[in-house]
Amino acid sequence: MSYLIDDNREGIQHLLMGNEAIVRGALEAGINVAAGYPGTPSSEIIEAFSKIARDRNIYAEWSTNEKVAMEVAAAASFAGLRSLCVMKQNGVNVASDFLLHLASSGTRGGMLLVTCDDPGALSSVNEGESRLFAKLVEIPLLEPGDFQEAKDLTKWAFDLSEKIRNLVMIRSVTRMSHASGNVKFGSLPDTNAHAEYRFDGPLLDMETGPMISMIVAAPELQHGPQQEKLKKAAQLFEDCPFNTYNGPESPELLIITSSACTLYVREAVNLLNIEDRVGILKLATTWPLPPNLIKRNLMRSKAVFVVEEVLPTLEENIKILAAETALETGIKTFYGKHSGHIPSAGELNPDIVISALTKILHIDYRPVEPSFEQKTAKMAATMAPTREMTFCPGCPHRASFWSIHNAIALDGRNGFVCGDIGCYVMGTLPGGYSTVKTLHSMGSGSGLASGFGKLKQFGIEQPVLAVCGDSTFFHAAMPALTNAIHHKSPFTLILLDNSGTAMTGFQPHPGSPFDVMGNTAEALDIEAICRAMGGRVEIADPFNLTETREMLNYLMEYKDGAKVLILRQACALSPERRGKKKFDVSVDESICIGENCGCDRLCTRIFGCPGITWDTEKKVSRIDTIICAGCGVCADICPAGAIQKKEVA
Amino acid sequence: MQRFGSRELVENVIRQNLCIGCGACNNLCPYFKSYNGKTTMLFPCTLPEGRCFAYCPKTEVDLDELSAALFHKPYGDDPLGYYRSIMMSRAGARAGHGLFQAGGTVSALMQFALEKRHIDGAILTDRKGIEPTPILATESKDILKCASSKYTAAPTLAALNRAIKEGFGNLGIVSTPCQTLAVAQMRLNPLQENTFRDPTGLVIGIFCTWALDFQAFKVFLSQRIDLAEIRKIDIPPPPAEVMEVFTDCATIEYPLSEIRQLVPEACSYCIDMTAEFSDISVGVMEGRTDMNTLITRTDRGQRIVDEAVSAGYLVLTDLPDENLEHLKWAADNKKKRAFAKAEEKAIVNTPAGTGPSYLRINHATLKKIRGE
Ligand SMILES: Cc1cc2nc3c(=O)[nH]c(=O)nc-3n(C[C@H](O)[C@H](O)[C@H](O)COP(=O)(O)OP(=O)(O)OC[C@H]3O[C@@H](n4cnc5c(N)ncnc54)[C@H](O)[C@@H]3O)c2cc1C
Ligand code: SF4
Ligand code: SF4
Ligand code: SF4
Ligand code: SF4
Repeated sequence: MSYLIDDNREGIQHLLMGNEAIVRGALEAGINVAAGYPGTPSSEIIEAFSKIARDRNIYAEWSTNEKVAMEVAAAASFAGLRSLCVMKQNGVNVASDFLLHLASSGTRGGMLLVTCDDPGALSSVNEGESRLFAKLVEIPLLEPGDFQEAKDLTKWAFDLSEKIRNLVMIRSVTRMSHASGNVKFGSLPDTNAHAEYRFDGPLLDMETGPMISMIVAAPELQHGPQQEKLKKAAQLFEDCPFNTYNGPESPELLIITSSACTLYVREAVNLLNIEDRVGILKLATTWPLPPNLIKRNLMRSKAVFVVEEVLPTLEENIKILAAETALETGIKTFYGKHSGHIPSAGELNPDIVISALTKILHIDYRPVEPSFEQKTAKMAATMAPTREMTFCPGCPHRASFWSIHNAIALDGRNGFVCGDIGCYVMGTLPGGYSTVKTLHSMGSGSGLASGFGKLKQFGIEQPVLAVCGDSTFFHAAMPALTNAIHHKSPFTLILLDNSGTAMTGFQPHPGSPFDVMGNTAEALDIEAICRAMGGRVEIADPFNLTETREMLNYLMEYKDGAKVLILRQACALSPERRGKKKFDVSVDESICIGENCGCDRLCTRIFGCPGITWDTEKKVSRIDTIICAGCGVCADICPAGAIQKKEVA
Repeated sequence: MQRFGSRELVENVIRQNLCIGCGACNNLCPYFKSYNGKTTMLFPCTLPEGRCFAYCPKTEVDLDELSAALFHKPYGDDPLGYYRSIMMSRAGARAGHGLFQAGGTVSALMQFALEKRHIDGAILTDRKGIEPTPILATESKDILKCASSKYTAAPTLAALNRAIKEGFGNLGIVSTPCQTLAVAQMRLNPLQENTFRDPTGLVIGIFCTWALDFQAFKVFLSQRIDLAEIRKIDIPPPPAEVMEVFTDCATIEYPLSEIRQLVPEACSYCIDMTAEFSDISVGVMEGRTDMNTLITRTDRGQRIVDEAVSAGYLVLTDLPDENLEHLKWAADNKKKRAFAKAEEKAIVNTPAGTGPSYLRINHATLKKIRGE
């Protein structure tokens, strides 16, 4: 992450990631408070704020979860400050309860909800959309189409939020957040803001009254005015400088697009060399749509092609306006998701847009010879080894799942693990010994397990376990554990405590002794919390395979109520373990049983640490000392004692 | 014997409820493990042939091959198997004393064999609470600690495999008939390994009509009594038809008819009551709680019995004829019932190429067992 973000030389250009551009935009808007919960592809935003927080008098935090992050940012807005909260698409689901209330109470200081969606689910369990929330809770939605715009639109959004006195949603996507482009900087304002929460004025007075989402059903008092705000936004959008049209006055085909798809469309049109046949309407204000602007542009062409990722959100909203203005704009042929020209699942790319355009415009275009494509596919199959998704070398989760798998198998009652979100989603795959049998949202493993545990009266005899990471525990698993303890649901919660929010890059969480700005923080003790909640708590080191497995078997047989096993071992990539080997590990070839009866390659065939490789010629295993993290766990699984570990002095 | 691998072991034994949890497939490799009396395969193994399958006493047991190896003749029709002598016995004055099940013959013979270095260790069955736990004993006091019967099936041979891995090469083993079968198969070096050496120095079989399923027994007892209070469990010899459970303050009796419900299906296919492939087999004596029935089968067994007697570790007397008759009758009954059941399930002498057969046996003997 660069420190260029707070460069105060107006007009200078820097190469910034989309996420950094958003941060710069917020700085230029004079932001005071930023809160979020880590989640790819959004995490760099809070991290960037934390680096310049002191200099720019900003308060930044990693909140316990997305809902709390939104509440923290809203408090700043209520006190007259500018703020934003940031999260990935799934986080908006978590925050959505508060979001609906906040959208109806409105905001004071400019406030943004920045969501980074992940079309194609590159780093997510699903590609759920956040755009629809803007429509659902009736707030404006902005989507930057390039990196400069990511900065400028963010700054513009703060003004918009203050003009309409409501939250504004800015949506980025992975290819916008994580790609980089040149951004020309504006100036930075002074950083002395004063916070005061005013509440003495009349109820529903946006400036001076208490900020409440109405307690009684009085839609005319609050819901009506909220909708007026949205209408005002639509009006402002009519002249928004970030909605642009490029192309002939009356093109054969009007392409309407937004966000990262703008880049794909530009590239496709350029490659096909059809600048004179198509026009591109790029929208930054995708909800509510400015009706006149849309109408004007619809009149340009009889054929309209909407390019967007995942659901046909923009497409459907455009179609509504087209239907309403059909008398003036005429009958259109629409291309997009409903016509099947663009898929509704997965990421887009220039190739997909090209192939759609060639069909719509009957263009003969072959980017590569079909035979070439076949040849490369064939070569890739023979030359690139197939790689399974697995945990890193030395990862504590591998050891944990090894023990969990074995404990369940030995127990013999067909027990299962309810999983949840984190690196340990790999527990569903062979790399985690296919141990995890349910996988949904954060904390839901514990909730499901609490439910399964109560099915004994219907004859379920299977032992129930759940896994959850330390960050997830605070985020969403605590209510589920509370439920289980209260209702005496007999399940075992395995807390995979690797001391950090590992999957997204070691952000601190409530169990950490410092916060994102580097200040000391109150570290909450998971063990003490679980004990205080009334659970039976045990602790083990997952690298001690026997102890962990025995403890699990014991807890599975111990029937009373909810039990917690904290498996404590730092992540292999954590600052404390990274690059520091505990053991020098090697294989004694003369002892290795290899493929013979007695082993059948347990280490490379089943255990699967990438640090161990199979020598196909000598038929023995060996340690790749560059990859091996020196955890020494494989030495304990080898049936022959062929894998040997020596403590590094 | 036909050779197969772990896949068939799981399919034909474990999934068919034929596994008795003897432990013969444990500790050979990382895949088979016993827990709570049940043997489980943790991960799949891809080998088409393996020791796990070859050692298992519940599949591909070739009675003629075993008989030929140990007694140099095909499997015969004597319900007690081949033997040299049958006597009555008890521990002699030189043997240390323990809470023997009956006459202490087993413990006395093992002590003798260990102290005189006929063996370098003894594979026995101790207990932790009510759970039978296999151990390797290298001192007489450990042998005495293991005295008395644990009535649940035990993975005793898991300790044998571990001891072999640790380098023991001349082991004494006290095993039930199914375990004794497994040991006999191990001794054949079924996979023809170059490095193989017979790891046994003395195999003492103990009589058995059935053992209990550990899990089922644990549930049975825990529903009736606090497991932590149990001091001892005993089944006194016939005609008493009860199991006695001793706690600090009371003795509780459960009728055997109730206890027999906890016998696993695997035992009903077991054709062997007296551990026919041992060196020496030992059982209780009807009506005499202080004596054992002693069957000596092999030269090695005979030598050790003789030496133990002259060294004062063992005392022998003649066995009354009516006891022998009754023993044969009981053993014959068990064998007939088990063969009938196995034949009903079509797992005796199944043709080669159709997968594993539970038992292989010559037709002449099979006909006699059937009573034809
Ligand atoms: C499950 C079971 C069923 C039996 N059924 C009969 C029967 O029907 N008729 C009969 O005459 N005798 C039966 N016996 C044998 C009998 O109970 C005595 O073990 C035998 O008579 C030897 O007596 P002892 O005094 O010499 O034994 P001890 O000197 O007390 O030694 C007992 C030995 O048995 C071993 N042992 C104890 N429990 C087990 C077990 N579960 N698996 C393997 N080894 C074990 C110990 O390692 C110990 O070395 C049975 C034994 C068991 C374990
Ligand atoms: S687990 Fe041990 S014996 Fe087996 S292949 Fe690996 S190094 Fe060799
Ligand atoms: S010690 Fe073994 S398990 Fe640990 S990282 Fe190295 S190869 Fe992997
Ligand atoms: S074949 Fe050998 S390695 Fe495979 S499960 Fe059986 S004993 Fe283990
Ligand atoms: S009977 Fe013994 S050898 Fe056979 S599967 Fe069961 S434990 Fe393994």
